[in-house]
Amino acid sequence: MVQVQTYLNVADNSGAKTILCIRILGSSRKIAKTGDVIIGVVKTAIPNMNVKRSDVVRAVVVRTKKVIQRPDGLAVRFDDN
Amino acid sequence: MVVKTEVCTFSGSRIYPGHGITYVRLDNKAFKFVSAKVKCYFQHRWNPRKLAWTQMYRRLHKKGTLEETQKKRTRKIVKGANKAVVGASLDIIKQKRNQKPEVRAAAREAALREVKERNRAKQAAKKTAPKPSGGKPMDKPMGKQPKAPKGGGKGGMRR
Repeated sequence: MVQVQTYLNVADNSGAKTILCIRILGSSRKIAKTGDVIIGVVKTAIPNMNVKRSDVVRAVVVRTKKVIQRPDGLAVRFDDN
Repeated sequence: MVVKTEVCTFSGSRIYPGHGITYVRLDNKAFKFVSAKVKCYFQHRWNPRKLAWTQMYRRLHKKGTLEETQKKRTRKIVKGANKAVVGASLDIIKQKRNQKPEVRAAAREAALREVKERNRAKQAAKKTAPKPSGGKPMDKPMGKQPKAPKGGGKGGMRR
């Protein structure tokens, strides 16, 4: 359950380490789940990479602490966002 | 229809589809829990080996029928050579295999004695010959074996 003002750990090697969610794409949605696209602001980054601090970026949510329910009944829960 | 069931990492019971939770930790290790009870125990860092209703405990304390847990181990029985080899036909191999130990020992001793005789003769020949040019022509030892071959020497299997 990712919403505005949620800090997320970045899972790829773009250079950002944490981003802050500022918007969830899709018509006026409040909660983002795994697989949703969000707009975020880079809060911490590794130096000398493509992405820098306070860049506005789009991101896909891949892990959530909230349980993900799958149609086959499988429920998965991660340790971070 | 056969349904694929998972195994709970804590209690060892089967997880049918639609039940349980998979928890993926930050170090990418996945744990499957069959119920909230099991999940709670895990989060409180209980050791399943100390809880009597888990499979781990039962295995540790050897509860339940041993036949289920023990697997039959079939040992490979190594039979003697059943094929004929280039140097010896099957009959000879069987003969050698079935030789009695006394016969083998006697044969071994005979071979040893033979080698000793040969060596003694060679030594004697060396002593009597005054010089290599004037003396008897000495034959080169023709592929003699330093040790006595075992089993009276298998025919044709000498190396």
